[in-house]
Amino acid sequence: MHPVQDFLNFLILGLTRGSLYALIALGYTLVYGVLQLINFAHSEVFMSGAFGSYLVVNSVVEDGSRPPWYGVLAVIILGLTSGGLVGAGVAWCLERVAYRPLRRRGAPKLAFLISAIGASFFLSQLFGKLFNRLNNNNFPSFFDQNKHVVQIGGVYITLMQAIIMVSALIMMVFLDSLVSRTKLGRSIRAVAEDAPTAALMGVNIDKTISRTFVIGGFLGGAAGYLYGSALFFSNTMGFIPGVKAFAAAVLGGIGNIRGAMLGGLLLGVVEATVPTAPWYKPGWIGIEWTDVVAFLVLVLVLVVRPTGILGERLGRAA
Amino acid sequence: MKRRSVEAEARIENLKRFGACLAGGFVLALMVGTQEGTQQDFGYAFRQSVAMPRILIFLGIGVLLYLAITFGPRAKPYLTRPGLRPLGAGVLTVIISLTLLKWTDSPQINTGKFRPLADAAAPTQALDSLARLWFGSAFSQTAWLLLIIVTVLAAAGMIRRSAPLSYAAAILAGVLGIWAEYASAAVSKFLHYPSHATGGAVAMLGFFTIAVASLVSARSQAAEADTDGFIDRVLGWRPGLALVVLGFAVGLVGVFNAAWFSPGDRNATLSTTASMFGATNLNGFAQTYLDWLGFVLFFVTLVVAGVASYLRHRLLAYAAIVLGLVSTLLTLVVVHDFSALGGKQGFDGAQGAWDNLGTGAWMTCAALSLFAGAGYLVLKDLRIEAKGVRAGSDIVGSGTAGARGQVAAATMLVVIIAALFYPPTATEFWQTVLVSEIGIYVLLAIGLNVVVGWAGLLDLGFIAFYAIGSYTTAYFTGRLPVQPPDWLLLSPLACIPFAIAACLIAGVALGFPTLRLRGDYLAIVTLGFGEIIRVIANNANGFTNGPRGAFNIPAPQIHLGPIHLTWGDSALGFWYLLLVLIAIIVLLFNRLENSRLGRAWAAIREDEVAAQATGINTRNVKLLAFAIGASTSGVAGVFFASQVGSFTPENFVLNNSILVVAYVVFGGMGSLPGAMAGAAVLTWLPEFLKDQVPAEDRQMWIGALILVMMIFRPAGLIPARRRKAELSGLDRPSSAEATAVPAGEGM
Repeated sequence: MHPVQDFLNFLILGLTRGSLYALIALGYTLVYGVLQLINFAHSEVFMSGAFGSYLVVNSVVEDGSRPPWYGVLAVIILGLTSGGLVGAGVAWCLERVAYRPLRRRGAPKLAFLISAIGASFFLSQLFGKLFNRLNNNNFPSFFDQNKHVVQIGGVYITLMQAIIMVSALIMMVFLDSLVSRTKLGRSIRAVAEDAPTAALMGVNIDKTISRTFVIGGFLGGAAGYLYGSALFFSNTMGFIPGVKAFAAAVLGGIGNIRGAMLGGLLLGVVEATVPTAPWYKPGWIGIEWTDVVAFLVLVLVLVVRPTGILGERLGRAA
Repeated sequence: MKRRSVEAEARIENLKRFGACLAGGFVLALMVGTQEGTQQDFGYAFRQSVAMPRILIFLGIGVLLYLAITFGPRAKPYLTRPGLRPLGAGVLTVIISLTLLKWTDSPQINTGKFRPLADAAAPTQALDSLARLWFGSAFSQTAWLLLIIVTVLAAAGMIRRSAPLSYAAAILAGVLGIWAEYASAAVSKFLHYPSHATGGAVAMLGFFTIAVASLVSARSQAAEADTDGFIDRVLGWRPGLALVVLGFAVGLVGVFNAAWFSPGDRNATLSTTASMFGATNLNGFAQTYLDWLGFVLFFVTLVVAGVASYLRHRLLAYAAIVLGLVSTLLTLVVVHDFSALGGKQGFDGAQGAWDNLGTGAWMTCAALSLFAGAGYLVLKDLRIEAKGVRAGSDIVGSGTAGARGQVAAATMLVVIIAALFYPPTATEFWQTVLVSEIGIYVLLAIGLNVVVGWAGLLDLGFIAFYAIGSYTTAYFTGRLPVQPPDWLLLSPLACIPFAIAACLIAGVALGFPTLRLRGDYLAIVTLGFGEIIRVIANNANGFTNGPRGAFNIPAPQIHLGPIHLTWGDSALGFWYLLLVLIAIIVLLFNRLENSRLGRAWAAIREDEVAAQATGINTRNVKLLAFAIGASTSGVAGVFFASQVGSFTPENFVLNNSILVVAYVVFGGMGSLPGAMAGAAVLTWLPEFLKDQVPAEDRQMWIGALILVMMIFRPAGLIPARRRKAELSGLDRPSSAEATAVPAGEGM
């Protein structure tokens, strides 16, 4: 028993989980930035990404096959893009159906929340109906997920963890530069800062909002692929990661892109390390208290900093 | 940016609409398609749903939808004729009754809906020939054919504005309504099965709506309809009359047609019940009631209430109230007496007091109470008028507002009477649903409405307080691993103050540090709180008994001097207890919205900074909202715990919190009747859908319904008055100007 070693391993687990949370949280935060609304149906975007990528990946590789490394890489990239594209498509439809009509009617803010909840029920059950309602579907296994790619003493990173962290990192860097450097990013920030003024400056608000949903949906869908291939997927898989990612977005300061990334990582690390950390006597606090610890941390942070760690505006993030 | 011409814009818009309609048809094809695939063949259900000939039908529906949307506006001048909207509602009601509702509960007919019943009834020689004809012995589907005929007739009368056609349609629809109810009653008599099914009654209601619509059309001279204005005018003219008519219809069925006593497979109407008990030693009064007094009371009250409503006579109105209430009570006493005696004598296995009753007695009670309600409305009308005269305000202005109030009061009376007298006639299944789903969630929605609707604080952990209430009850009744001291062991109802106190403390403990957070931050913190409570309940084995939960919680009892009330297995008793709780809470909350506190909440909801600037102590006011909402939830928790007897932490999952928020917003945020209606509709719906769609798909349909509802009616079922006023200007209903000078009667 090496407490430090265990701690580091759990830290890595936490970072892996955290990067998934961060990817999903970005979807919440982007939408919040432009609309000041919690997109409650984002968890179903995540879920649909897993289903969509499964259909593609399953038709490309067989369970138990062992393609060469570039084949594995190609399939993973295919899975990420297909998951992302399905997620983006679902997010786009969502904006069209559950948000835009309400925006046109000037509905009260909570009406959006409820229409998103309705859409969430609908999507999750529709996917269950169309595919299946089992709660432990698995992706075909075509590489050894538990191979240790990095090992220093007893501390190791498995291949799947590495894939998740690296791809999440790449996507986040990409998103960050997209939002801070491109014209689209500028229009997103402008709408987040002050939508009517942005409209006066010639930004097409509808289009920008739509594209924001698509970007967030892509990240969520890709996260769905990663989550599904690391663990399992089902039509109800979205709910708990969705809630956690929403908490992560709030933790970092909702509407703030780097905040969402930070919040996601932090939440993942807290969840994985605190209940199991070596400084607790064994049995003092069990794994079943994970959620309590995570939410207590959230509450404490919010009591000290009511708008999250990094504050809230999307406009100021970059 | 490229510029497009106006025509090109329009064309693109058109194409988009077409695409959306096709997509709608596609989604519909998926929604009613096959169930799930397998792990091996993942896309099976999807492929089946979009298989070639099938998908064309649904795309065809999409095209039809597109045509309706595109060319609908051209038909508009015809669609605004008076009576067309009620006609549509009536036809829809009949269609629903013929397709979705049960016409009998008898297990002999597999689903009990119209279609299988018609298939079984049409060739049955022993069935009454008139009823047989209704179910279609002569034509394949007589009822449908007649519905189409009457619809075409009524619509033609309205569109061509031909009074004779409309009168003909009205008469035909009236006959059909009676025929539908008659056929339904004949079938239930024939099957010897005490029926609680509503199909026939709803069909009758639908046909009567068609009849009224046609009559309106025949009498009306206006070219354009104003349904709301019309209802306002009718109720403003003689407010009680609508209730009297309703009571008359319900009571006629109750007194003459429906079963009063149905042990075994007997369906004894009032007069047959009288002859059943003729030879027994039923007490004199009850026998007299059964013999003739029941009829007389009904007709006397009917006449008194009718005359009082028409003449708006104060004394007669009082008489109607007294007569209605007293005869309702007498009916209940008689029902108790004869059912108890029937149980003692063991008629065909009758079980005792309040058992084996048909729907008749309850319908009669409902009718008598409706007459009393009519009297109340008359008094209210006189009071409004007196006030108006004394204040010297112009009657024209207050007329519509007064009518609005009367519409609200009449609806409220009908809802209360239905809540009192419908449940005993429902099947046991529906009674359970009424208590453990509808009633409890209505109570929770009332509580959350304070927090979300009035104070505008989004609370996603509301179920936590419900859990606290339930666990408090379990603790004080000694059903948790930790026991209270012996002298503190309580009966469940006595736990209510303790549960309220516990929830108040929890609410304040949660609210104090977190209420300075704004909207969405508060949402996630409350969500976290809800989860924390659930996880604690699940894991603190020594205190909460962990995942096994609490069990054997006693049912409530009241022993107060001579009054001894105990609640047992029957859901009905719990329903009335719940009704009392809801009534008390609604009475308490009713005045809250426009009180100083309610206005402070509204101010905070709209603009917190401005509210603070006007001197509102925002923290305390928010804390109060939290505490009041929480304690309501605690009361619901006490009731829940003692009603189900055992519960586990699984009863308090996050999903339930989210559902309660959905109920409140669906019903109409910030409106007390809205929140109640939203909870009632959305908890009733899954049970109703059980008979309509595959069980697994229910949540999907509900999700779709919530979505569609929010798109087309974002303010909810019954929008809050304050919010409505913000949108359309105070005290000026949108139809006020239209009704001021009816189009045909202007200069």
